Amino acid sequence: MAIVTGQKTPDRIPPVSERSIIGWMHKNLCSSVFNSILTIVMLYIIYLTLSGVYIWGFADATFVADNRRECFDNSLEGACWAGVLAWTDNIMYGRFPREEIWRINLGGLLLVLWMAPLWMARVKGKIFIGITVVMLYPFLAGYLFSGGDKGWFMQIMVTGAIVALIANVVNMIAGLTKEQSLVQFLLGLVGQSNASDKAQRNTILGFLAAALVAVFIWQSSWNMVEVGWTKWGGLFLTLVISGVGIAASMPLGIVLALGRRSKLAVVKVLSTSFIEVFRSVPLITVLFMATTMFPLFMPDGFVLNKLVQVIIAVILFNACYMAENVRAGLQAIPKGQFEGAHTIGLGYWGTMGLIVMPQALKHMIPNIVGNFIGLLKDTTLVSIIGLFDILTMLRSISKDVPWIGLHKEPLVYGAILFFIICFSMSKYSRHLEAKLSTDNKS
Amino acid sequence: MTSETSQGQLSSAASSEVIIEITKMNKWYGSFHVLKDINLTVHKGERIVICGPSGSGKSTLIRCVNALEEHQEGEINVDGIILGKNLKNLDHIRTEVGMVFQNFNLFPHLTILENLTLGPIWVRKIGKAEAIETAMYYLEKVKIPEQADKFPGQMSGGQQQRVAIARSLCMSPKIMLFDEPTSALDPEMIKEVLDVMVDLADTGMTMIVVTHEMGFARTIADEVIFMDEGDIVERNKPEAFFSNPEHERTQKFLSQIL
Ligand SMILES: Nc1ncnc2c1ncn2[C@@H]1O[C@H](COP(=O)(O)OP(=O)(O)OP(=O)(O)O)[C@@H](O)[C@H]1O
Ligand SMILES: [Mg+2]
Repeated sequence: MAIVTGQKTPDRIPPVSERSIIGWMHKNLCSSVFNSILTIVMLYIIYLTLSGVYIWGFADATFVADNRRECFDNSLEGACWAGVLAWTDNIMYGRFPREEIWRINLGGLLLVLWMAPLWMARVKGKIFIGITVVMLYPFLAGYLFSGGDKGWFMQIMVTGAIVALIANVVNMIAGLTKEQSLVQFLLGLVGQSNASDKAQRNTILGFLAAALVAVFIWQSSWNMVEVGWTKWGGLFLTLVISGVGIAASMPLGIVLALGRRSKLAVVKVLSTSFIEVFRSVPLITVLFMATTMFPLFMPDGFVLNKLVQVIIAVILFNACYMAENVRAGLQAIPKGQFEGAHTIGLGYWGTMGLIVMPQALKHMIPNIVGNFIGLLKDTTLVSIIGLFDILTMLRSISKDVPWIGLHKEPLVYGAILFFIICFSMSKYSRHLEAKLSTDNKS
Repeated sequence: MTSETSQGQLSSAASSEVIIEITKMNKWYGSFHVLKDINLTVHKGERIVICGPSGSGKSTLIRCVNALEEHQEGEINVDGIILGKNLKNLDHIRTEVGMVFQNFNLFPHLTILENLTLGPIWVRKIGKAEAIETAMYYLEKVKIPEQADKFPGQMSGGQQQRVAIARSLCMSPKIMLFDEPTSALDPEMIKEVLDVMVDLADTGMTMIVVTHEMGFARTIADEVIFMDEGDIVERNKPEAFFSNPEHERTQKFLSQIL
């Protein structure tokens, strides 16, 4: 028997439970007597907590005061935010000389400027931007933050960094205004857009050489006061340690992961044991080992400062976690991709660099961001071995004479700060994940 | 399932020059003997179709020819290069021998054009402009030039397979290997891929094709090879192969698929 439907069935609106607030509440909050009671109890608990927090932290709180006494005069129950506010600079920059703080801000600003094009669809050469920011920015920032006399090596690296930064900015402007890459823009400038490959290469090298020489002369006249690492502190120090940690542990992690998958037995065993040893030891132990045992292995007279030791420890520790992330990412790449790469004649490094890693890194973004968040929080451990990171600064408020005994507020403030940073990063990684996964499907 | 291709039997382009010479080749996976005493000679311009039941070692055989798999005994001589442990030879052979897989194995993170120019630029060290020109030429040949800026995931299976063929051709290989290029495709896409392969055969390319498309085999093959359990059981001209197979294993197999 054939069944034939003559008419199209018209669309109807969904039932009440799907479209009104009341319907939603009925379905999700009060679907049975027990659930209704649960909802009411929960709402009451939430109300108690929130109102308590509101009264302590806002309604009764003191924002302007010169010392803790004045806070108490204002209200005994409320928070004393004035103490935290008075210490803002310390919390952010530690004991960095106040008149030099602009150098930190400038360093941060330059980093933003350098990385901003990565988020602009019209700008080309993202790989170049990514590589220069990892390879060169640290030298520029290092000089900005510590100042003092530059050795010839530092002079060269700072010059390279500034040229790369300028190139990036020009590239960004060319990309935004004309949708051109830096190279196209420069060639257009001297009317060589259609010249032969060789002539074009020479022109670009000419530009590069001129820029390097000019910047080298310019920077050699700079003179910045030296700020010893012991003066570094606060959120700044925390970000430096975790930032360097994540940037350096990424390439090292990739190397370790490739080593672990290597066919060469020695390389494989070495990488695997390195990863497993560091992964089974807590960070705090690694930090202690780095600061107490590391100097023992060093030749006489060779003294690394504590900050460098800590950073090395953090890098090694984090590289092992990164290696496991990378390994997971590599395992997600189907065998056919390797075979496809091999049939067009790519060797090991070509296959890894052009085919496998770009795909694997995409899969790894959520894990890497998670790892970074973890590292940022773990970095507070360096307060235990005597660096003035953000946690140390927050805790010293209670020892400062005007604010003696002020414990709660600084820690709450620190918690809020960390929450904002970490939460926005994890949100961003979700967003990135969603964006990239649609890219894959499309 | 067979798809009759419009043309009749193509004229043979085979010359007397030997391009692949396999002698007494043996391969094991662990203790499992996959290929047994394989002897095979392929002349330049010759078009060979390999068929046989699942697990008989067809894929393994052609993967040995471009050194995707290592063989343990015997000799494989491809265009004068002896395949062995020498890595330099391996890299060289892969650029001379193109391969098309059942699952396309395109690079999903690159556009079609980038898929096609990657090998020429990075391996053959050809300039970018020239590589793009070649890529567009072959996209034209496989009839999808307008898709150059798409990503593989945005195309149908048949289109992806044609891109995969073009990707191999961009490396200007001397030999093309096909491992069941149409088995992962919906019926309506099989023909578009086979048509491209017939065009390719027309140009005189040396081809070894593993396939169960018997209509296609009739059209292009100079010789058909039947494999079973690691042996080359029978090798014959297509008319003879299909009309009166000599070996009983061949007869049984043909009666199952035709
Ligand atoms: N990497 C491997 N390790 C172990 N055994 C393998 C491996 N690859 C293939 N084999 C085995 O070798 C035999 C031949 O495999 P091959 O892929 O060459 O068969 P085939 O003729 O191509 O079959 P199909 O028509 O299913 O593709 C099969 O029995 C298979 O299980
Ligand atoms: Mg197979």
